[in-house]
Amino acid sequence: MIALPAAPLLWLTVTLIVFEGADLVSRRSGRHPLCHPVLFATPVLIALLLISSTPYRVYREATAPLTFLLGPAVVGLAVPVWAQRRLIRRLAVPIGVALLAGATTAIVSAVGILWLTGAPPVLLASIAPRATTSPVAMALAQQLHGIPPLAVAIVLFAGVVGAMTATPLFDRMGIRDYRARGFAIGVSAHGLGAARAFQVDATAGAFASLAMALNAIATAALLGVLAALL
Amino acid sequence: MIAAIALLLTCQLLGETIRLATGLPVPGAVVGMLLLLLWLALIPRERPTLTAVTGWLTAHLSIMFVPAAVGVMQEGGILARWGWALVLATILSTLMTMIVTALAFRWAALRWAGSSA
Repeated sequence: MIALPAAPLLWLTVTLIVFEGADLVSRRSGRHPLCHPVLFATPVLIALLLISSTPYRVYREATAPLTFLLGPAVVGLAVPVWAQRRLIRRLAVPIGVALLAGATTAIVSAVGILWLTGAPPVLLASIAPRATTSPVAMALAQQLHGIPPLAVAIVLFAGVVGAMTATPLFDRMGIRDYRARGFAIGVSAHGLGAARAFQVDATAGAFASLAMALNAIATAALLGVLAALL
Repeated sequence: MIAAIALLLTCQLLGETIRLATGLPVPGAVVGMLLLLLWLALIPRERPTLTAVTGWLTAHLSIMFVPAAVGVMQEGGILARWGWALVLATILSTLMTMIVTALAFRWAALRWAGSSA
C-alpha cells in the first residue's frame, strides 16, 4: 500500500473537491432541492472512506477546521436579523405568534410521532431540533445527548421535504401572502426552505431567512427549558 | 476584516463561557448570536466588513457541516432499524409545521396588523 500524505491535508482537499463537484451538479440542476450538494458529497465521501478503510474518527479530526467555522457562522446569523429590525418591529405580533406556534409544532410533532413508533430517547433527542439550521441542530442534539450526525441528516431531509412541498401546499391552503408563506417555510425547513423561497419570491425569501435565524433562537430556548424541566 | 472575525469569535467565546459557567442548556454559539445582537443594538453604526464576513460564512454553510453529515456512516444500524420512523416523523412534522406557522402568521397579521395580501 502506498503511503498517504498527512490526514488533514488529504481529507480537506478531497472534501473541497468532492463538494465542488457536487455543487456543480446542484448548479446545473438549477438548485433543485434533491440535488443539494451535501446530499451528493456525503455518500461519495463515505464511499471514499470505506474504500481507503479510513475510520470516521480520522476523517472528523482531519476536517475539524471546516467544522470549527460553524460556530462563528451561527453567531453571524445575528447580522441579518439586525438588518431586518424595522420589519420585525412593524410585524412584531405576527412574527412572534407564528414563530412560537411553528417552533412548538416542529418539536412536539417530530418528537411525538417518533415516540409513537417506539423509538428510543437518543433518537427523540436527535429529531427534536429538526427545524433549526444544521449547525444549531448539531449543537442542540449534542446538548440533549442525541446523535449530531443523525440530526444533520434529519435536518437536511426536512429541508428537502419543505422545499419540494411548500408551493403546492400553500396554493392548496389558499395562502397567498408571501410573508406568511416565506416565514412558514423558514421556520419548518431552515436554509433549504429559504433558498427555495428566494426562487419563488424576494419577499418570501427575506421572511424565510429571518424565520430561520429566529427559529434557531426559539428552538434553542424551548428545548433549553424542556431540558431543564426533564 | 480581522476586527470582524475577532468580534464573532469573542461573542462565541463569551457565549461558550456563559454556557459553561451557568449550565445554561443552550449552545454557546446561540448565546453568542444573542450577544452579537446586543452589541449591534448598543453600538449602532454601519458595519460593511462584518456584513461581508458573515455573508461569506452563511453562503458557505453547507460545506461546513459535510464532516458531520459523513458521520452517519457510523449509524447504519440505527438507520436500518429506525430509518422508516425517522422519515415518517420528519415528513409529517415538516408539513404540520409549515401549515401551523402559515396559518398563525396570517391569523395574527389580520388580527393585529390589519393588512394581509
